[in-house]
Amino acid sequence: MASSGTRLTLEALSKRYGDGPPAVAAVSLDVAPGEFIGLLGPSGCGKTTTLRMIGGLTPSTSGRVMVGGRDVTTLPPHKRDMGIVFQSYALFPHMDVAANVAFGLEMRGLKRADIAGKVAQALDLVQLGALAHRRPRELSGGQQQRVALARALVIEPAILLLDEPLSNLDAKLREEMRAEIHDIQKRLGITTIFVTHDQAEALAMCDRIAVMEKGRVAQLGTPHDIYEHPASEFVADFVGRSNRIAAEAGADGVIRLGEHRVRSAAPVPAGPVTVMIRPHRVGFDGAEGDGWNICPGVVRRVTYVGDMLACEVEVGGGIVVVERPTQPGTALPAVGDGVRVSWRVSDTLVFPR
Amino acid sequence: MRLSALLLGPVLLVNLLTFLAPVLNLASLSFNEARPGGGIGPGPTLATWADLLADPYYLELVTSSVGVAAMVTVGTLLAGYPLALFIHRASARWRNLLMVACISPLLVSAVVRTYGWMVILGDNGIVAAALRWLGMAKPPRMVFNLTGVAIALVEILMPTMILCLLAGFGRLNVALEEAAASLGAPPWRVLLRVVLPLSMPGVLLGCLLAFVLTVSSFITPKLLGGGRVILLATEIYDQAIVTLNWPVAAALSVLSLAVFGAALLLYGRILRIVEA
Ligand SMILES: Nc1ncnc2c1ncn2[C@@H]1O[C@H](COP(=O)(O)OP(=O)(O)OP(=O)(O)O)[C@@H](O)[C@H]1O
Ligand SMILES: [Mg+2]
Repeated sequence: MASSGTRLTLEALSKRYGDGPPAVAAVSLDVAPGEFIGLLGPSGCGKTTTLRMIGGLTPSTSGRVMVGGRDVTTLPPHKRDMGIVFQSYALFPHMDVAANVAFGLEMRGLKRADIAGKVAQALDLVQLGALAHRRPRELSGGQQQRVALARALVIEPAILLLDEPLSNLDAKLREEMRAEIHDIQKRLGITTIFVTHDQAEALAMCDRIAVMEKGRVAQLGTPHDIYEHPASEFVADFVGRSNRIAAEAGADGVIRLGEHRVRSAAPVPAGPVTVMIRPHRVGFDGAEGDGWNICPGVVRRVTYVGDMLACEVEVGGGIVVVERPTQPGTALPAVGDGVRVSWRVSDTLVFPR
Repeated sequence: MRLSALLLGPVLLVNLLTFLAPVLNLASLSFNEARPGGGIGPGPTLATWADLLADPYYLELVTSSVGVAAMVTVGTLLAGYPLALFIHRASARWRNLLMVACISPLLVSAVVRTYGWMVILGDNGIVAAALRWLGMAKPPRMVFNLTGVAIALVEILMPTMILCLLAGFGRLNVALEEAAASLGAPPWRVLLRVVLPLSMPGVLLGCLLAFVLTVSSFITPKLLGGGRVILLATEIYDQAIVTLNWPVAAALSVLSLAVFGAALLLYGRILRIVEA
């Protein structure tokens, strides 16, 4: 059941409920055939609403949805040819697993024999062949999720829409399903939109991520772009962990962090700024030289988390968390120690405050 | 478990005294022989039952009662289902209002509602007048026949049906309908394949009640039927009050209980299939 992939384009898609602020405001997105795009953002930022507008389940207030160059904005969902996996799975409780998966094929008027073959194939794909005659309520959460996935995939939709499909699973199963969904999507080459509020999930699975903030796309880019070059403080804060320190930037591009002076690779607007540094990119042993920012500080707290040691160091009036992998034989800093924290100039993110 | 049995005690006792005892009394009465003029002969004898079962009139009475009840049940379901679905889907505020509006006819006695239908459906009623105005020279007769009885019974039973349906809509879920639509099902197929199967418990319960209430309905067929629509309950009344043949009335009562029992069995059977 290989799908060649279809282009999906959103043009200034908007949704306003009542007369409050828009739930989705002019979201534009161009999804290449076979691409796996993540919609990432905090609760209430409009991810589900965007997905539902793409699927035709919620009418849009303005804007267009194009599938393969065709405008489907006003098409009802049953004519859109999209597979949707709902957060609640929405499996039909009165049908067994096989009937659930067969439903979409029956609606397409396939012959009985063809349906049986495709259903068996789809269930094998998600490794549920043995449970074909169970009812949904007799399945575990992970199994239900895979049935929902098989049901959406078996119709070979032009677009696959996933709304937080992993959020009901425990951590271990979630990681397994992550890999499984990723593999299946790549194998079938289906253009996919994946909604999640879990940044690790988005980074691990998606070709590109659209980070959403209050109904808008705050940044669109590859996981690497989003993580290394966040476009705003919001993105830097939402994706990955970071130290935030209030600082002042001068017209000369030098940033004053208390009594210390640090630099950033990117040009910095003069005025009050927030300096952000990823905790694992800070160390105590930075080489002297142009490429590094080095500040003296005092260790205030040390937290041992097994594979990692988190040291909170007071630097220039702020606290910088330094994460170091624990290794036998390395001297560990103690509370009260004077240390020199260092990080690369290129790892210094600066945003106007 | 023992406490619940104890709590059930009073209800069981009351039911024993007020339901089971009279029913047993009736049943035993059907094994007496009728004497002309309302007398009751000594028993036990199978004479009444033998007469009853040999007379094709009574067989037809039972089959026509069941037939009319089935027709009225289907009519009530068809009329009530869309309304119930609409009420179920309304916003919380409207839902309560619509529920009250739907159930309020229960506050008016069936006698009054039947007379209301006699006025509406009568030869000079608004329905006939409307049909005449639309150009129909001779509108069909709608009172003192089965048509009127069926229309009135459907209306009278609708609140009950709607309540049953609403109680059975618990498993309906908009997400399931959306899932079906996303899989390519147009609205009518969503209704047939998802909504209807999921609401079957309510449908079955509503049908059971509508059926039983029709078979035992008395006032509406009596008044609107004009003596031409004879159901089990009206016949029992005639036998007991007009003909003064108590053993036959008792036997017919037992027969109608048997019909109810059969309906209940069928209900249980179908419900098990639906819920499996
Ligand atoms: N049916 C509705 N009526 C009114 N407001 C709504 C409706 N659905 C969503 N909203 C509002 O629209 C905004 C976006 O909701 P949406 O469900 O898209 O968020 P989300 O990003 O999916 O959040 P979550 O991660 O919690 O699922 C929210 O502020 C929400 O309150
Ligand atoms: Mg959501």
